Amino acid sequence: MAEAGGAEEISIVEVEPIQGRDLIFIEGFPDVGLVGAIASSYLVDRLEMREVGYIDAEFLPPLISVRNEQIKELIRIYHKNNIVAIVSDIPIPPHMIRPLSQSIVNWIKRKNGKLLISVSGIPEPNRLDIERPEVYVLGNKPEITEMLIKLNGVNRFKDGFIAGIKGMLLREAVRAELDAAIILAQAHYNYPDPGAAGQIVSYLSKILGVEVDVKPLFESAEELRLKLRDLMMRTDQVMRGIQKSRELELPPVYL
Amino acid sequence: MEEWRRSVWRRVLDEFRMVEAEVSRMEDELFRLMREAEERSGCMTPLYNLYESGDEVRLTADLPGASKEEIGLIAGEDYFRVEAPCRSPLRGGEGRRYVLHLRLPAKIDPKSVRARYKDGVLEVVAKKKVAGYRIKID
Repeated sequence: MAEAGGAEEISIVEVEPIQGRDLIFIEGFPDVGLVGAIASSYLVDRLEMREVGYIDAEFLPPLISVRNEQIKELIRIYHKNNIVAIVSDIPIPPHMIRPLSQSIVNWIKRKNGKLLISVSGIPEPNRLDIERPEVYVLGNKPEITEMLIKLNGVNRFKDGFIAGIKGMLLREAVRAELDAAIILAQAHYNYPDPGAAGQIVSYLSKILGVEVDVKPLFESAEELRLKLRDLMMRTDQVMRGIQKSRELELPPVYL
Repeated sequence: MEEWRRSVWRRVLDEFRMVEAEVSRMEDELFRLMREAEERSGCMTPLYNLYESGDEVRLTADLPGASKEEIGLIAGEDYFRVEAPCRSPLRGGEGRRYVLHLRLPAKIDPKSVRARYKDGVLEVVAKKKVAGYRIKID
């Protein structure tokens, strides 16, 4: 099945049709500290989720990745039980952000998805002094935030900016009346941050009602950071094009 | 939307994409040159942030797989140099080194430099050198 996304041809292809009720979609496109990318890939790996599809678009770079002699799409879709994860090997080019977020939201809406969760990092200049990064949540309507805040140890995301595809997905979801949320952990802005991803994974596992051991993630953190240096560099370049640094600022208040 | 407006919009969008493609081409060239230099010399440039704020110059560098004892840090009046072996089993593996040589945006007092290495990140803070006359405000 393919989704035609306006000016930009975007196809969301289910090689194996994704079926099920109350599907929860998790998206981990690379941005701040690669927190979303690390957390979503780790979840896919630990839950042994099945690769069931991919997202392709006219203006994605002509690339494939090869892993273990297997040809992989750049943006892949995984599925297990009621969880669907979208994992990407590249940061989303700025001009693709709007059409892609529209396509994803439309697709989830058609699948009668229950919730779309974006996973990301919140840039924290004092990250070095923080042992356990705090987790922040924001729903696209108050009921969603209330539901997510019930779990202990998380904070509300009160004021700030959310740049890039995570912000656009939240906005498109509001417009399409799809329940959506973003979960963020304090992270290094442009260093891969498995520690922050670990906090997200343990929080997500509670929401999803699955058991995930995060210890291996912390143990292999240094190696992971080295492996992800290239992706972080590329992502940093893209983040500059979408005013990601605004996330360090507060929206103007006049009263 | 009217037809003419749509076509103008389309053209603006195409223009945008061309600029973006050009920028991305230049960036890619930069990555390639950096990568090639790294492969040839066995030295990796770590990810880093350098900025000056108030009377300080602050550097952080991501050095996963290094150790505190093996990091060599030299501070001059207008540069920082960081060298460290990278103990990682990855690509090329042993024998790789981190090397970062940075010219600073302002002169510093090398004696004021403080550094720490925590969770794989090196942080270096230096006080700016202040030389000048104090002026009375009328």
